[in-house]
Amino acid sequence: MSKILEIKDLVTKFYTLDGVVNAVNGVSFDLEEGETLAVVGESGSGKSVTMMSLLGLIPMPPGKIEAGTAIFNGDKGSLDLLQLSSSELRDIRGGQIGFVFQDPISTLNPILTVGEQISEILTRHKGMSKDEAHKRTIKLLTQVGIPDPELRYKSFPFQFSGGMRQRVVIAIAIACTPKIIIADEPTTALDVTVQAQIVDLFKRLREALGVAVIWITHDLGVVAGIAERVLVMYGGRPVEIAPVNDLYENPQHPYTIGLLSALPRMDATESERLVSIKGSPPDLLLSQRHCPFAWRCDYAFDRCWEEIPSLITVGEQHQASCFYDLAKGEPRDV
Amino acid sequence: MSENNILVQVENLKKHFPIIGGMMGRQIGAVKAVDGISFDIQESETLGMVGESGCGKSTAGRAILQLHKPTAGQVFFKDQDLTQMSGEDVRQLRPKIQMIFQDPYATLNPRHSVRKIIGEPLIIHGMMKKGSPELKDRVAELLELVGMDPAYMRRFPHEFSGGQRQRIGIARALSLNPDFIVCDEPISALDVSIQAQVVNLMQDLQDQLGIAYLFIAHDLSMVKHISHRIAVMYLGKIMELTERNTLFDNPLHPYTQSLNSAVPIPDPKLEQNRKRFILKGDPPSPANPPSGCVFHTRCPLTVKKCIKVKPEFREMHPGHFVACHLADEKGGSKISKQTILASEMS
Repeated sequence: MSKILEIKDLVTKFYTLDGVVNAVNGVSFDLEEGETLAVVGESGSGKSVTMMSLLGLIPMPPGKIEAGTAIFNGDKGSLDLLQLSSSELRDIRGGQIGFVFQDPISTLNPILTVGEQISEILTRHKGMSKDEAHKRTIKLLTQVGIPDPELRYKSFPFQFSGGMRQRVVIAIAIACTPKIIIADEPTTALDVTVQAQIVDLFKRLREALGVAVIWITHDLGVVAGIAERVLVMYGGRPVEIAPVNDLYENPQHPYTIGLLSALPRMDATESERLVSIKGSPPDLLLSQRHCPFAWRCDYAFDRCWEEIPSLITVGEQHQASCFYDLAKGEPRDV
Repeated sequence: MSENNILVQVENLKKHFPIIGGMMGRQIGAVKAVDGISFDIQESETLGMVGESGCGKSTAGRAILQLHKPTAGQVFFKDQDLTQMSGEDVRQLRPKIQMIFQDPYATLNPRHSVRKIIGEPLIIHGMMKKGSPELKDRVAELLELVGMDPAYMRRFPHEFSGGQRQRIGIARALSLNPDFIVCDEPISALDVSIQAQVVNLMQDLQDQLGIAYLFIAHDLSMVKHISHRIAVMYLGKIMELTERNTLFDNPLHPYTQSLNSAVPIPDPKLEQNRKRFILKGDPPSPANPPSGCVFHTRCPLTVKKCIKVKPEFREMHPGHFVACHLADEKGGSKISKQTILASEMS
């Protein structure tokens, strides 16, 4: 397997009237071909801003990408997404990188039929004729499980339910057989039975197309079913990255442990008290000089208040940014 | 629990919203948001109410409190029928029945201090005088009760995080010593790590003060965690009502079974090998509900009777209510491996 996306030291800030919002403070990760990586974090953890930065979707100003590289190894060789012009990025966006956002109603154009919206992508990126694009669109609608595709081609977004709209958005994302799909909370706005349908659809498409998926979410339940690796973010930084089984069985960062034990489980018979993380997430208006989780951490010691931990290898493919070794119960020797 | 400590009893409650249309602005239909639900809530009990968006769970909560005037049915609070009372009489009863709302940003007046927000119910109901030292002490006591520093009473809502605002909302609901609180999605707007804080707080308060909750939410795992009994709603009707563990170990309604199977479990080993039954399609519109059993359009077990006849909401085992024709027969309403396979083939 080769790396299709390599992100290094990404820093994105927003210069607002209230001050500088340190949204992303040095994020690095890789994505393998055909792999599903889940990015987990609470609101304000920087998970969405990271992905928007890659796609050139940060409004500038107030936003500014201050540092970092994002190497995309696509059809046209290695490119740094952060250095591309907006027209070059447009070619990649929707072409080799597809995306699915949380709210399908605001993603779709309300005054175009869904068929037109999918065909548009194909004529724009693939240079197809109208006829070819129409045929391919019907095929795509079938592929994402929309019944009566010929009829639905002519429907407008408001005539679809939430789940069906999200299927249309997914059809747009896969229209040009992308290498990567970035899905930002794709099931959060949906009901649980519809969420199960969409997760199921993603799994089938991933296998059929061999596409890599970055799945951004706050729901650790969904992650368990779909991801191969998981990146946990907090305060605009990566706190832990590990293969999915490893992360749930052997979490190494106190924040990950807190998140996992804060969840009630459907398969529990006794209602044990939930373990909550004290305090609230960090204020991103303050510049960070120490571990952003130190305020809420039970294990914080002197060093945590003096410097910011970066990712430390703690196992095979398993990294955590924490100075404390939980297994040994003492500070790490790094 | 015995019969005599029933606190709230809901009988065949309905709330229909008219659809006005046509040239003359006549009523051309109705959204049957809540369409005949019955249940009771006992003292110090948490009854969970789950369902997908549009199933009428929030409307039910509001109709119980008379925030929406019910179209039909009765709501008894300690033997008094709220639906027959005048607005003033209901207002007199408000101290005992309170509500916590979903959005902690929208429910607090941004121009009022925390002291005013929490103290206002006490002044309105004439229990304490504005500006009196007792009022200040009571607000301080309430803030401590919900785990906040009493010094915060001079601050304003914008100075707090979502979790803290929800605590303020809870303190306000507690100010009049209620017996019953309707909690409408109280944690949905909060982050995971904060949800646990608020749920723990609500459970502690119940232990200390003996309050009964109607806990309305769409997050099944959280509802299961906090509730003693759970009612599952679909298109304005209760499909199943039983003890929390029975609902998960022995669900009789096919809808409950598919909900259970759709909820992801945060454990990759279990989750990856799980055989789940995924419902097809979306819930129909409550303005035009299906005939017979409202679930028949999505149910994998539908037989002719389901399309024609409305199933009765009846007690199958003591305390276990189901609205499904097939529940009578042994294993009749169970979704089996064969059903899952057959639905995947189609």
